[in-house]
Amino acid sequence: MGMKKKWVMSAFVAFLVFAMAGCGSGSSNKAGSGSAGGETIKFASDASYAPMEYMDTDKIKGFDIDFIKAVMEEAGIDYTVTNTGWDTMLSSVKQGTEYQAGLSSVSITDERKETYDYSIPYFESTNMIMVKEGSDIKNALDLKDKKVAVQAATTADDLMSGIMGVDNGNLKRFDSNAVALMELNSGGADAVVADIAIVNEYIKNNPNEKLTGIIDKENFGSEYYGILYPKGSEWKAKLDPAIKKIIENGKYTEIYKAWFGEEPDTQTLLNAE
Amino acid sequence: MDIRFDIIAHYLPVLLRGTAFTIGVSIVSIIFGSILGLGIGFGKMAPKAYFRWPFHCYINFFRGTPLYVQILIVHFGVIPAFYGSTNVLMTSFVALSLNSAAYSAEIFRAGIQSIDPGQREAAVSLGMTRAQAMRFIILPQAVKRMVPAFGNEFIVLVKDSSLLALIAAPEIMYWSNTMKGQYLRIWEPYLTAALIYFILTYSLSKLLNYIERKV
Repeated sequence: MGMKKKWVMSAFVAFLVFAMAGCGSGSSNKAGSGSAGGETIKFASDASYAPMEYMDTDKIKGFDIDFIKAVMEEAGIDYTVTNTGWDTMLSSVKQGTEYQAGLSSVSITDERKETYDYSIPYFESTNMIMVKEGSDIKNALDLKDKKVAVQAATTADDLMSGIMGVDNGNLKRFDSNAVALMELNSGGADAVVADIAIVNEYIKNNPNEKLTGIIDKENFGSEYYGILYPKGSEWKAKLDPAIKKIIENGKYTEIYKAWFGEEPDTQTLLNAE
Repeated sequence: MDIRFDIIAHYLPVLLRGTAFTIGVSIVSIIFGSILGLGIGFGKMAPKAYFRWPFHCYINFFRGTPLYVQILIVHFGVIPAFYGSTNVLMTSFVALSLNSAAYSAEIFRAGIQSIDPGQREAAVSLGMTRAQAMRFIILPQAVKRMVPAFGNEFIVLVKDSSLLALIAAPEIMYWSNTMKGQYLRIWEPYLTAALIYFILTYSLSKLLNYIERKV
């Protein structure tokens, strides 16, 4: 009898777990067709990625924020951008009910396209290696037997998993780039790999820590950021032309120069599609 | 049902390795935490107030601040001071042991103080020293009462070890975060992690029930 009870109990727990999973999928199925009629598009973002998107006390700022402002003006659609954090952004954009899109420097990869739709590319980025001055690391392949810190769930993580092996103990994945950078300063890592904008910003803000950035175009190819949509979202068709327009008419270049002090390669960006 | 079992299957080997890490760290930390906690518990029961004070501070600090903060302080402050650099394994053991010691100390103190003072008086009047009374009369009874509380502490420790993902310790949450990053999907990694933790703590509580009956 006691044995039987235990089995019923275990089956019930298993049911609960999968019922929860079922709920998540139920609402995501609606998302594809359910976003009709909205005049306002709500963007979710993880605003902890200066200078791309970050919080200045209670205001959200950054390149992506200025970029989307130009896009929405071009498209003539009302919008809001809310800092929801990364995981909330992922789950709510997938459902598409509360937030219809994600704007958070999300790199476009084939694996992620299985779950989401993306806008056309709006930003070209590459990963960069940051080391202490005098390090013998010269390129990405030198990192193979070194201790490398990355932010978990980023393309830096993907790239280094590819080079070092996903289960390599010397590849340390941290909760945020800030903690990964601290690990380098504390001697727990020989290098940090992160987006070029993040690394440059960090080196600029910490001149006393004697850091050098290494660009390795050969091993770290270009990657492109896109706006994240639920599968089958109608917003893609509405916003893609506006994105293209501001890249072509120079508005994009203006914003880019204001944030990074240099000209973007808009031709590569347009061709990347 | 929109669950990608292929992703879970792909990550299962590393998740199981993460499970082994979680179990290992928890066992080592509960052992060191108990040994340390025994000393701290006795310190807090010392007759002189000025002698009790540091132990009192220790317990209050570790019970009164989040483990999240303690892990960061140990990882970036304490361990580099001794090692010269950070060390994930050391941080994991040290942070969890120190935290667990504070709770263990209170379990010991409560257990020992729950034994009627008459027991000690009786032992002493039979010619035992105070130390003998503690060792042969009070502790055996107290330990029996402590077992459920220690079991709880161990289960809490297993769950709290998930915070070690913060400093890239390769435990269960760490690998589910990795899984999340590759596919930008959150239910597969989180539900799998939840299931693994549940299996761990559920079997642990069954095991503890068995031990409680035996003691």
